Amino acid sequence: MTSAISVTDAAKIYGTGDAAVTALAGVTASFEQGKFTAIMGPSGSGKSTLLHCLAGLDSLDRGDVLLGDVELGALSDKDLTLVRREKIGFIFQAFNLIPTLTAKENILLPLSIAGHTADPDWYDEVVHAVGLEDRLGHRPSELSGGEQQRVAAARALVSRPDIVFADEPSGNLDSKSGAELLAFMRTAVDDFGQTIVMVTHDAFAASHADRVIFLDDGQIIAELMDPTSEQILDKMKQLGD
Amino acid sequence: MLKVAWSSIRANKVRLLLTSFAIVIGVSFVAGSFVFTDTISTRFDRLFSDISAGVDVYVQPVQPDFGTDFGPIQLSMPESVFDDVMAVDGVADAEAGVGGTAQLVGKDGEVVGGFGPPTLGFSWSEDPDMTPLRIAPENGRPPQAAGEIAIDVATARDKDYQLGDMVGVITTGPVEEFTLVGIANFGDEDNVAGATLVIFEFEEAQRMFGLEGRISQISVAADPGVTSEDLAGRIGAVVPDGVEAITAAQSTADQTAELQEGLSFLTIGLLVFAIIAVFVGSFVIYNTFRIIVAQRTRELALLRAIGATGGQVTRMVVLEALIIAFVSSLIGILGGIVLSQLLAAALSAGGLGFPDGPLTLLPRTVIVGILVGVVVTVVASVLPARRAARIPPVAAMRADLSATPRKDLRTRAIVGVIVVGFGGSLVLVGLFTSISNGLVLLGVGAGLAFLGVSILAPLAARPFALFVGWPIRKAFTVAGDLAVQNTRRQPRRTASTASALMIGVALVVFVAIFGASIKVSIGNTVGEIFPADISASSTNFTSGVSPQFTDELRMLPEIEQVTTLNSPQVRFQELQMDATGSAIEPATSEGMIFTGATPEAITKLAATDGLLVLEEIEGTDLLLGETYTIEFPNGVTGPVEVVGVFTDGNFGDFIITRDRYATGVEVLTDQLVLANASQGVSVDEAAAAADALTADYPNVQVQTKSELVADAESQIDGLLAIFTGLLALAIIIAILGITNTLALSIIERTREIGLLRAIGMSRRQLRRMVRWESVIIAVFGAMLGMVTGAVLGWIVVLALRDEGLGDFAIPVGQLITLILVAGIAGVVAAIYPAWKASRLNILDAIAYE
Repeated sequence: MTSAISVTDAAKIYGTGDAAVTALAGVTASFEQGKFTAIMGPSGSGKSTLLHCLAGLDSLDRGDVLLGDVELGALSDKDLTLVRREKIGFIFQAFNLIPTLTAKENILLPLSIAGHTADPDWYDEVVHAVGLEDRLGHRPSELSGGEQQRVAAARALVSRPDIVFADEPSGNLDSKSGAELLAFMRTAVDDFGQTIVMVTHDAFAASHADRVIFLDDGQIIAELMDPTSEQILDKMKQLGD
Repeated sequence: MLKVAWSSIRANKVRLLLTSFAIVIGVSFVAGSFVFTDTISTRFDRLFSDISAGVDVYVQPVQPDFGTDFGPIQLSMPESVFDDVMAVDGVADAEAGVGGTAQLVGKDGEVVGGFGPPTLGFSWSEDPDMTPLRIAPENGRPPQAAGEIAIDVATARDKDYQLGDMVGVITTGPVEEFTLVGIANFGDEDNVAGATLVIFEFEEAQRMFGLEGRISQISVAADPGVTSEDLAGRIGAVVPDGVEAITAAQSTADQTAELQEGLSFLTIGLLVFAIIAVFVGSFVIYNTFRIIVAQRTRELALLRAIGATGGQVTRMVVLEALIIAFVSSLIGILGGIVLSQLLAAALSAGGLGFPDGPLTLLPRTVIVGILVGVVVTVVASVLPARRAARIPPVAAMRADLSATPRKDLRTRAIVGVIVVGFGGSLVLVGLFTSISNGLVLLGVGAGLAFLGVSILAPLAARPFALFVGWPIRKAFTVAGDLAVQNTRRQPRRTASTASALMIGVALVVFVAIFGASIKVSIGNTVGEIFPADISASSTNFTSGVSPQFTDELRMLPEIEQVTTLNSPQVRFQELQMDATGSAIEPATSEGMIFTGATPEAITKLAATDGLLVLEEIEGTDLLLGETYTIEFPNGVTGPVEVVGVFTDGNFGDFIITRDRYATGVEVLTDQLVLANASQGVSVDEAAAAADALTADYPNVQVQTKSELVADAESQIDGLLAIFTGLLALAIIIAILGITNTLALSIIERTREIGLLRAIGMSRRQLRRMVRWESVIIAVFGAMLGMVTGAVLGWIVVLALRDEGLGDFAIPVGQLITLILVAGIAGVVAAIYPAWKASRLNILDAIAYE
């Protein structure tokens, strides 16, 4: 098993003194290449902080993130930008798209920022997979929430990143749109060999993953492999007690 | 509500700073112009009272109530008046004085002074109570005989004159040499208002000013127990016609009032620029508040949801504006004080000294300053505030606020066209009315036209951004593309930001076009109406060319024909009409001065010593064949018959002969002397020969025709430079407006920028995006301004065709420079917002609230 990204003894504290909040208290984990991993936990468990640190959006107070053979902590802002541009894709919960650009322009945005051109076959394949062939000329305000998130997913995949990070990607969607998006993410892993790390608190979303990590108080407290929704809910109940 | 407004202000210091800058500048100009004139008036008022400290009454020739009192009109009265005054009961002492224009010749042979501070000469007063002049023991003694002079301390110091030096002095004739025997202080000052003072012995002064047997003024001291008013009355009863007695207090008041009038062009100029600054500033304020309201939609909706009425929300926004306005008006008043000091310093550096003294800040200045700031800000914020009131409470719950309802474009187009049309008509009405507020109409019309264009601007913003953006998108794919899209996103915001710049640029373009047209016209006109080869004129306003010089010029073999031109001001008594015209020498004017009069008319003018009338006013004001009584400023009157017409308005309303003009002045000098080179002599040779004569007349300058034209043009260039410099301020305000809008847009787009950064956009690319956005807005504003200014300039130039301004010229080079400058200004305006955007914390930006 090769790990796409790994984190060792990650610690992060926000604020100082009485106001100090420990977001991460020594997390060590590694995320397998070509697998779909979900990170779960209640609010304030540190799951979003972990995602941000893994993605090079935030820095750790202690510990290392190793993306492939690159240590993120050692990089300058400029190099981190390049890493995000070349190796990482993002799907956020909302506000994923630039409102002035069409769906197609949004999908191709990371490539144009990097000054690359898209591989047309791959682009067609991704667009086909998210089912957006007819909507490419529309702007975000003319797309439904589900369509917007699928555009974001296509954008995350089109530059063939080493790893895609998703932060509650289905959080703002109705259940049907959410299911479609998650199904597409599953397909990306199964058919294209994409590595995905997703933060969620929704058991149904997490059930699409190969592996679920449970976080609480900044520490990993449990793990499930190939789970079903029921197993996840049980585990959550169990941990909640 | 006050609390909410206040906390909102405190939370946005930079926004506050940028918004208030516009108000600060406007108020500074208003307050500065007041403080400047008040301070100068107070100080001179004190100086004038100091001068007349020991004097109770002045006896002087009656000042003309028409015409200007500079130039060759040197009023005087017979010496016998002095005896009349001395005989009056209650006169303790009296002293006669003679004065006029006297210029010193520097050691380099150049005359001292010219266009600028006065160059005064007068007789020494024996009685120290009657004069502020003091000569300290170490500074020599007063002039006591012919051939001796004293001068003021400042001039002696500046021009390096020592006691015993031989100094050249010019009054009405050729330069004469004098021995410097004394250096005088003016009260405690070294100098007064930058004037150079030359003091002669009494009879020498009479000779130098051509006033033998005559005097200019009598200073009178009253016996104890006799009031000034009383004494002035008693003296007034005995002096001959044309002479008046006024109290020293009255004289001081008159002089101060005259000074204020002299400075009024500065005051008015400053106020005009204040209005422009405030007008441009109001766009910036309006825009800022619109964006603020848009950004706070959710917050304002929440206020509505928890029970605030629409009125309360409006009042809160206006209150916020009020607080900003009040604070910045106060800063503006301080700025005005600084500005007035700078202005005084600049004028001093230019040679115009002002007496020392405290600064005068009247309550009126503070009140007007605050009123201007507050009214403008509140007016500019009312529309955005009303928008705020219309935000429905449910907006607090909506996540997506980006989509604003599209207003009807057709309504906008119609309203815009109507406002532009109305403004344009006002401009035309203003141009064609002879009424005194024509200029005000013109200004209001131009203001309305600007407003109309800014209403129309959003219609042009989107296509324009595409057009200008095309090369930018090609060159800077992503950053350029996003920049273009951003300016297209909210065309109204883009347009109103650009509109502020549009006004400044339009005014600069207007001034440039107007100036270029005047230059071409003047160049053509001067060449046409003065076909003579060379000209001679005085290097100052007051002295004119000595007739002795003209006589010597006639004698030169290189010179063939010589004629003169003067501009008399007269009153037509029957019509109670004051008018300015020309005085020519009919015998020699042919081929030298072209007035459009027929040779027959000129012959008749010479034969009858009559008057030619401007064709345009013949029949309406003056009738051909009619005889009128004309009065000169010195009180001389005489009948004159209208014997013909002329056509060129550059010569004023009428033409009379130089002989008749000579009766209206005490000492005859000429304003312009024209001459032709003799057959076979080149113009340059003739000019060189004439120039050699000026060794004795250093205040005369000889110019060839082309030099005369170039001189006229360069004077216009100087004026244009000053106007453009002041208008640059309006452009700076507009650029700060762009900075403000961009900075606010960046806050609004925090999330978007965070996303761009997250998916790999570098800080550099982000900065580039903001920069191009700014450049597009700036160039849009500049181009709008250029078109508006050009159209305005075209209308005005066309309308003034009859006034001798028919040549419409577009200074292409200047316009291209202007666009480039606008682009660079856009880059500068983007520095802060771009930096801010690139420093945004990605996590804060993308965090879901």
